[in-house]
Amino acid sequence: MGKRRVLGPSAWMLGATGLAIGVFAAYLVKQGNPGNMGLCIACFLRDISSFFGGEAMKMNGFAYIRPEIVGMMLGATVAAISFREFKARGGSGSVYRFVLGFIFMVSALIFLGCPVRAWLRLGGGDLNAAVGIAGLVVGIFVGTVFLRRGYIVGRVKKLAKPLGFVMAAIAVILLVLALVTFYSGAAPGGFSTVAKGAKKTAEGVVFTAEKVISPADASMVDGAIVGADGAVVASPDSVAAAAGVPGGSRAPLYLSLVAGLAIGVAAQRSRFCSVGGIRDSILIKRYDLLVGVAGLVIGVAVMNMVFGQFNLGFEGQPAAHTNFLGNFLPMVLVGLTAVFMGGCPLRQVIMASEGDLDAVAAILGMMLGAVASHALSLASTGAGPASGAWVAMGAMAAVTLGIGFMRTQKA
Amino acid sequence: MVEVDVRGFVCPVPLMRTKKALESEPTQIVVFADDGTAKTNVTYLLQDEGYAVVVTDDGDDYRIEGNK
Repeated sequence: MGKRRVLGPSAWMLGATGLAIGVFAAYLVKQGNPGNMGLCIACFLRDISSFFGGEAMKMNGFAYIRPEIVGMMLGATVAAISFREFKARGGSGSVYRFVLGFIFMVSALIFLGCPVRAWLRLGGGDLNAAVGIAGLVVGIFVGTVFLRRGYIVGRVKKLAKPLGFVMAAIAVILLVLALVTFYSGAAPGGFSTVAKGAKKTAEGVVFTAEKVISPADASMVDGAIVGADGAVVASPDSVAAAAGVPGGSRAPLYLSLVAGLAIGVAAQRSRFCSVGGIRDSILIKRYDLLVGVAGLVIGVAVMNMVFGQFNLGFEGQPAAHTNFLGNFLPMVLVGLTAVFMGGCPLRQVIMASEGDLDAVAAILGMMLGAVASHALSLASTGAGPASGAWVAMGAMAAVTLGIGFMRTQKA
Repeated sequence: MVEVDVRGFVCPVPLMRTKKALESEPTQIVVFADDGTAKTNVTYLLQDEGYAVVVTDDGDDYRIEGNK
């Protein structure tokens, strides 16, 4: 007769996966990814959306097909096929998941990060992330109340096998676009991309060390940027003070791709989830997924200290703001929508790659949510949440709770 | 013996239902699942609860049998 144990082998496998993701994330930041953003599913899906949305959707500062995401998709697909877990399935509330993905993304971009990045920010010393995580716990708790009362997003149906390859096919297309952009130096098909290391001045002039990108007819003269008519559009001081645009901050393409592949395989095998740990501890008193998150925070914190990237405090944190409610409230929505979708966005990427078309719907919802977030100026900046963010959160909370009640059936 | 059918459901529902079925402390439990994550999660849950677990895969569904 075996004995009951609290932490079994799955906990250690999850812990190791978390640790690996944390270490990779810190290293990707050291290699050029934005601060505390070695990996962020929300931000990186947004960056991919920006490649297609571009200037028209006010997203041109982000446009870059993040190879981490593409790698994760392909890695998870290969792992799922190798271990006979690849199954085409769908039809369990795809529309709901699309809407939940949309709300998830708009909320995440008010906090400035998905749950994975929230943990990574915490491991970088960003205490604003602790506020967000407190909100995340509240949101997950509300989600577990619905689950206990019988919330089910829908019953999954088996589908014809080729349909399961939708996410992998999208990943291959994205990879081709990324490689063409990388080797030709320009985005094909009229899409947008940001050059590596690009900076933007307070006047909105975008440039790299080699050339001025926007306005296109301007040029660099003695440290200033001068327009075609000879007028100074950005002074030398302004040029010196220019900050890098997020899309221009990136690790080398192949490094990102390999890291993504490794994370995709590890996450598929271990079922790592950044919200499931809190959910399971509340709901069924299982802590193995939480060990994964603990591993991630330890891994990234230690490596950030080694690389000199650790900075404890609220102020001056990379891609973050210090508004208390602006960090707390959106993460309540992130936690709730993640529980309703059946997992954090990292899990959605993995499940989509395993053949789950509902997870594909959630991801498409997220990508469209990113476009709406920027086009409608709902995304936060380092200065804080946008004025429209509060109304948007109210409306999104109403829709999310509405879905919760609609999908709750007493067993 | 207790039987639990969680085919068509994704986590955490399979785990919740298995956990509930374990409340009667059965000496044998059989769980039917069709999702890889559910299979893995249920297997680990049963092992951590002290069951010897055998998983059979007919290519479509998983049959997870736990014995104490």
